[in-house]
Parts: sequence; C-alpha cells; structure tokens
Amino acid sequence: MPAPQTVQDVNRQLAQRINDDALKNPQSPYANKWVGIANGQVVVVADTLDEMAKRLDAIEPDPSKTFGLAASEDPKEVQYIWRLS
Amino acid sequence: MPRVQWALRYDQPCVEITLTLAADGQPMPRVLLADTGAGTRTSLFQLILDEDDCLLCGGKPLPPITLGGAYTGSFPTYRLAVKLPAIGFDENLRAVAVSTLPPAFDGIACFAFLNRFTYGHFGDPAQFGLEG
Repeated sequence: MPAPQTVQDVNRQLAQRINDDALKNPQSPYANKWVGIANGQVVVVADTLDEMAKRLDAIEPDPSKTFGLAASEDPKEVQYIWRLS
Repeated sequence: MPRVQWALRYDQPCVEITLTLAADGQPMPRVLLADTGAGTRTSLFQLILDEDDCLLCGGKPLPPITLGGAYTGSFPTYRLAVKLPAIGFDENLRAVAVSTLPPAFDGIACFAFLNRFTYGHFGDPAQFGLEG
C-alpha cells in the first residue's frame, strides 16, 4: 500500500504540472510568473520572487505547507558559472 | 542614492550581505565574491551559498536548477530573506545551494544580483561597492 502523500508532495506535484503547462503554453496564466502554492492550491501569482514570497508567507506562515516556483523555467536549461577561483 | 563599499578581499571584489538565523533571529553576515560571470542578467537566481547556511537561515525550497561551468549538475535552490542594511535593501532572493565555495568567501553574488545596482569601485580601485 503506497504511503500517504504529504502536503509537500501535493504542492510539488502541482508545481510540476503548472511548470509543464507553462513551458508548453505561453498563454498559460502562470507563464513567466512566480507562483506560490499552499496546501495543494495556488494562492499567489506574482511578477517577482519577493512579492510572491511576502504574500505567500502572509497567507500560510508554515513553510512546510508551501512551495514556490518560477513558471516557465526549464529545469534542464544550463546556467553557467564561469569561474571558481 | 545610498552607496556601500567594501575593501577587496584577496584583490577580488566582494559584497557583504546579511542573512538571519532561523533559530534566534540573529543576523548572520556573509561575504560573497562579486562575480559578473555567474549567471546572466535574466537568471532566476541571485546568489550561490553553502547549503548549510541556506538551511540555518530558514531557506524555503524552490525547484532545483542545472548549472554548468565551475559547478555542474542539478542543485537545490532556496528563497531567503537577504539584507544590505547600509543601502536599505531587504528582499527575498533565490540562492543556489552548493557544498564547495571559492576560497575565502561564503558564497557568490551573481550577475542577476549585482546588476540590480550600480556597481564598481567608484573611484577607489581597492574597493568594490553597490549603489542603489
């Protein structure tokens, strides 16, 4: 019998669906937005991380019940760090 | 416009940010290498920090990202409250969490962060500063 899903599992699955949709569909209401999720539901859509974070923390202060994402971000796109001296 | 400047560290530009310890709310200053070659203007991360620092300061998880170059592979990211009190900066930023950092630094301030400000030596080549 599978283990019951945690709130974090549900939040992350929703985040994955939102990002997959935003990557496929530029007309998605979440495309290129910061999205805040609490308890398995989208509760914030914002233009900046700071705005999303402040509104999300006000809605759900328990960080174990929240998750955020930058919709349309391709997790496989390589971001280069050119030096480490 | 307010400005803050720091002496170069081992002849390299640096910025000092202030994080906040989750356990007791005490400030935790961190000196970061100012590296315009870290990421791009549009990168959705601003800092590279030690993962222990991210966790000690209550970093809230965000999706992982893929790095190349000096770091390679998928890395966790966190959002953290970051302050530069001297110029009144107080925002949530996204930090990539790593386990290896440049010697003598607590992390890297990436181009997407530096580029939010006017940056440079402001006439003193022994210093590096931010204005904004």
